[in-house]
Amino acid sequence: MVDLAAPRPSGLDPALSVRNVRKTFRIHTDKASSIKGFLAGGGRNRSREFTALDDVSFDVEVGEAVGIIGHNGSGKSTLLKCMAKILTPNEGEVLVTKRMAALLELGAGFHPELTGRDNVFLNASILGMPRREIEQRFDDIVDFSGLHEFIDAPVKTYSSGMYVRLGFAVAINVDPELLLIDEVLAVGDITFQQKCMEKFVEYRDEGRTLVLVTHDSGSVRHFCDRAIWLDHGKVMADGQPAEVIDEYNEKMLGGEAAGDGSGGIRRGSGEITVERVELLVDGQPAAAVRSGGDLVVRMNFTTTERVPNPVFAIRLSSLVGVEVTAPSTRDVDQVAEYVEGSGWVDVRFSNLPLVPGPYVVHTEVTGYGRKHIYDHIQNAQSFDVVAGNTPETEGLVTMRPSWSIEGTGVGPPLRHP
Amino acid sequence: MSLRNAVAHRNLLYLLTLKELRTRYRRSVLGWAWTLLNPVIQMLVFSFVFLVAFRQEPPVGNPSGLQSFPLYFLCGLLPFQFFSISVTASLASVSSNSSLITKVAFPHEHLALSVVGAQLMTFLIELGVLAVALLVAGQMVLPWLLPMLPLIALLTLFTIGVALAVSAANVFFHDVTHLWGIVAQVLFYATPIIWVPETIDVRILDTLSDWHPTGSFIRASQQMLYGGHFPSIWRWMHLTGVAAISFSVGAWIFGRLSPRFAEEL
Repeated sequence: MVDLAAPRPSGLDPALSVRNVRKTFRIHTDKASSIKGFLAGGGRNRSREFTALDDVSFDVEVGEAVGIIGHNGSGKSTLLKCMAKILTPNEGEVLVTKRMAALLELGAGFHPELTGRDNVFLNASILGMPRREIEQRFDDIVDFSGLHEFIDAPVKTYSSGMYVRLGFAVAINVDPELLLIDEVLAVGDITFQQKCMEKFVEYRDEGRTLVLVTHDSGSVRHFCDRAIWLDHGKVMADGQPAEVIDEYNEKMLGGEAAGDGSGGIRRGSGEITVERVELLVDGQPAAAVRSGGDLVVRMNFTTTERVPNPVFAIRLSSLVGVEVTAPSTRDVDQVAEYVEGSGWVDVRFSNLPLVPGPYVVHTEVTGYGRKHIYDHIQNAQSFDVVAGNTPETEGLVTMRPSWSIEGTGVGPPLRHP
Repeated sequence: MSLRNAVAHRNLLYLLTLKELRTRYRRSVLGWAWTLLNPVIQMLVFSFVFLVAFRQEPPVGNPSGLQSFPLYFLCGLLPFQFFSISVTASLASVSSNSSLITKVAFPHEHLALSVVGAQLMTFLIELGVLAVALLVAGQMVLPWLLPMLPLIALLTLFTIGVALAVSAANVFFHDVTHLWGIVAQVLFYATPIIWVPETIDVRILDTLSDWHPTGSFIRASQQMLYGGHFPSIWRWMHLTGVAAISFSVGAWIFGRLSPRFAEEL
């Protein structure tokens, strides 16, 4: 197992320097994409300006692993694209001193009609790799992707998983000293995600510089040694991941719930459906809860007909899909004889024993035999557990153990400065 | 356009050109035969119109003595088509690669350049076939292939300039596509391909085609391949100027607009 929390050496010159970057977009209300429209509008498009980044400055030192967090629309994607030199800032500049690769989309520019081999060469070349180097690394790329048998088949015959694997294999073999990572890791199967993560950890431990842009504060907490929180185009906090993320989550805790519970994938026969999943902390909707706090998962349901003895269940898992718990109303003999109309089911957790990080709730309503599915929502709601009354950071569940150490030569407990 | 950047990424240009060539005739039964079939069919149609319908006399090559409308037609059509098809194909080269432009930083010029590169390959193949046809017809064309090289180089520079300008402009104004369709049509008839400057009564058309870029290029090509004589020094200077202006203006426009592609697409 790779040690995710190893300290990083810090270099001298910054690998990446973002200086007073300001980026505005024009939102076209009446887009003049014809010359006539352009002339009729007096040479100007009718539009209003939207500031995506407002005077953002920070340096990323060589060997640092920096996580940039923020909710949707905070400007983090724009920042990533400015750093990757895809977008040009209106003001300020981005200086890059190291060989950079940006993983914004895996396999961008793959041509479906060309073979995997041709696409590897083309894609690596788009990413800026010289021909000789591609030839040298070609075998590594194919090895990493695990697509030996398919490398001479056109990529249009690939599954989406294979496509992503080949894309990642190319991107990672560009051998960057500075790697910008978007939330691309959310794709592919878990084994492959694990492989990607291990590669990133390997890169970080080799002293390369990484910048991870994500809304998943959990991976920043585990993976990065510095976090930058971006909100409405401004840097709100910059520092130790634990502190920045807690501050970020504190804001989220006070704000409205992150999702409306409709973002998941639904299946089932539909006589009874869960309309909305709410997470309540102290009776208020929330997107984050403290470790050791009280949490209520509320499923608001409606029925189309009278449904006899339905079983309500939830599954709680980590973001990458490791199941933590899966209680149901049948376990505790709380199955109603019938349900009709609408209402809600509350699942109450007190003294929540989860380690800080991102979690997902899946909901399910079934018949009493648990075979017939009325309604199942995969990824019904996600939430963050933030630092609370446990000092643990690894694993998913805290069992709140007590420790003792005894021996012939054990000193007194270390006092923290 | 930063020339150094383009040179540093020449491998990308090579691979993109290869991609153009490899994917062009995918899923077509005749495949690469289309490259030759298209000009041959046009030649048949226009030869019928010129020789049978309008009963015109084929031009006599000076000093080659060659007298064949189909060959005269091809000596003009092939370079013209290299230019016009390159520009048509380059129109969408930037806008159709939006997924790439919004996800990866790379020299955008190569999208347009690779299209021109692929057409250049096609043109050279066609020219080879035409040279064989001229030899069969008794015109010793081989010595003229050497001075054709600088002409092709200048024509390529000219084409690149136009291709860069239209591919960049097309991202912002889709009118460019429609406008080009008309311009290409007008240029085709304003260039001595299906008519012969010496025998045309419309003086203005003769003079105009002597000066406008495609007319000038096509005349030089006809003089060497069909006529067998070296174009005047003034012709060469004109062509060099046209190519230089087109290339630098096109590169300037592209350079100005390309930082805004990712936002617009």
